[in-house]
Amino acid sequence: MTFLPFVFILTSLITFVAGQLFLKRAMESTTAGGNGHPRFGSLLGAGIFLMTISFFLTLGLLQRFDLSYLYPFQGLSVIIIAFAAAIVLREKLTLQLTIGAALISAGIVLVSIS
Amino acid sequence: MPMQNRPSGFANPWFQLALSVAFVTVSELLLKRGASDTANLATNWSWTGINSLASPLVWWGILCVIASFLSWLYVLKYIPLTIAFPLSRVVDVLVPLSCWIFLGETISARRWCGIALVVIGLAVVAKPVARLEERL
Repeated sequence: MTFLPFVFILTSLITFVAGQLFLKRAMESTTAGGNGHPRFGSLLGAGIFLMTISFFLTLGLLQRFDLSYLYPFQGLSVIIIAFAAAIVLREKLTLQLTIGAALISAGIVLVSIS
Repeated sequence: MPMQNRPSGFANPWFQLALSVAFVTVSELLLKRGASDTANLATNWSWTGINSLASPLVWWGILCVIASFLSWLYVLKYIPLTIAFPLSRVVDVLVPLSCWIFLGETISARRWCGIALVVIGLAVVAKPVARLEERL
């Protein structure tokens, strides 16, 4: 039973990151100018759907482990999202931002393995 | 992303970011309390966490999640994800500290070191943003 929790933790992490990217796209579509945003609803819906899966998996995990152990795993999402936003959303990722995000992720991993 | 022409006061995206973070911290504490209260690990569906919905604390937690979500959506409209998301991880300092203070969970020396690293990382991310804000 040591392997299964990590499958659930990983799944909740992936759905969380993907959800954030969809939400960002959805909100960006509202500033793109013009009034009709045909993709807003579906982008928002996809983001919320993914976040919901992540949420319930997290609840299941919370019933088994301390919050201070579990929660920081989501911290890995910092560095993953920084790169994903740079690649998928073409946001500018400076060296300083990368270092900062890496430090945050490293700190969170350190928190979660102790 | 337009960093200028931002609304001020309650509608300021940086304020909304702080608000979102505060709601997340409170929601995590409520969800942990509620989920633990209703834990029944023997049932088949317990991995889905669905039986946590029996706890009123979980429902308060869900309200906080929704509030933080709305603030977060507003933040996404104005601030790039590469900046907003790392900054939002101040919750990874606030949540363990709250667990320590309010839930009586213990924090080891290594965990304190991790928390310190997160704080340094947050400062590294926030510094260029603060400079940018000063210029505007």
